[in-house]
Amino acid sequence: MNKSENNNFETLKQALKLKRHEIPPPGYFNNFSSDVLDRIRAGESGGRESFAERLQTQAPWLIDFIRLFETKPGLIGAFAISACLVLVFGIVLAERPDAAPQDFMATAGGAANNQAATETVALTDPVLTPAGDSAGGIVASTNPVVSLQPATGLFGQQNPLFQSASFAPVGH
Amino acid sequence: MSDPAMTPDSNQPEGMLEGDLVRHARRGDLAAYDQLVKRYQERIYATIYHMTANHEDANDLAQDAFIKAYQALKTFKGGSSFYTWLYRIAVNKTINFLKQRKNKYHLSLNDLDFNAENDPDLVALVSHKTPVRDAGLSELQKKLNEALLKLSEPHRMVVILHDVQGMSHEEIAEIAGCNVGTVRSRLFYARQQLQGDLAEYMKPA
Repeated sequence: MNKSENNNFETLKQALKLKRHEIPPPGYFNNFSSDVLDRIRAGESGGRESFAERLQTQAPWLIDFIRLFETKPGLIGAFAISACLVLVFGIVLAERPDAAPQDFMATAGGAANNQAATETVALTDPVLTPAGDSAGGIVASTNPVVSLQPATGLFGQQNPLFQSASFAPVGH
Repeated sequence: MSDPAMTPDSNQPEGMLEGDLVRHARRGDLAAYDQLVKRYQERIYATIYHMTANHEDANDLAQDAFIKAYQALKTFKGGSSFYTWLYRIAVNKTINFLKQRKNKYHLSLNDLDFNAENDPDLVALVSHKTPVRDAGLSELQKKLNEALLKLSEPHRMVVILHDVQGMSHEEIAEIAGCNVGTVRSRLFYARQQLQGDLAEYMKPA
């Protein structure tokens, strides 16, 4: 089978050599380069080009990169897995709840340290708590609505949503 | 003593190496580019002609390829030879053209040169008792071109660059941007297809 197939291919290759004897009209190449240069001087473009052709000449590395996937299908899987991992990592990082609140607590803790006289922590009714204790400050709270509420308003009136926190260490 | 006018001068475009010509052409030296066109015009034209089987289309596409290459010279980094890079442009342009034309082709074949009947391979081919001898080379030429046009563009490109133009698998792989194994398999498949289409001409009587 191989022998006859090879023989046939040899015959085919001989027949294909016939194509080498197909030649353009005599003198065809005499003006070819001057025609090309005339068109270049006239500012002509090299015909309409597709997006793929433009990429081929301007970013051949991208075409090579894409073709790498064609020749090595395993790379497609590796690339897809890496892309998924990056995506999952990004989502997990974005959903971590600790980053911003930690900063806020640190700020609030600093404010509390400035008021070192108050060492008691207790959730108290806003009405019972003197506004002056932390007037103008930002008060920490587990209540998200009131957490950033100042103790007093612009004109000195007490903020009804304000909750003061006090802390009493055990044993004192 | 030789005539100085006849001695190749490395300062003149005619005597320059390819790399120097490319460098000069990149700076806008059209005389240098003219030399590059003259060096490769026949091979580029022939490749496109064999792909399209149409002289007029090959003429337009070959000119377009050289113009495109001149405009894109600034992006030529020299990673491959200019010749390979130029071939890539020409082949991509031709494949793009053929895809737009789809299957509507019109043969406009060039004449066979006078040496065709003296080519030892062709003499061997027609000297066998095959139908080819009766059909004549012109008939075979037509059938061969029709069979080539039935191949997909990538398969046609490989068989033309290898079996007609005489390029190596490695060179074709670089031009086509694929690996050598792909070139080999495409070549095998293309030959099988051609063999099937030209069965009546290929089998011994």
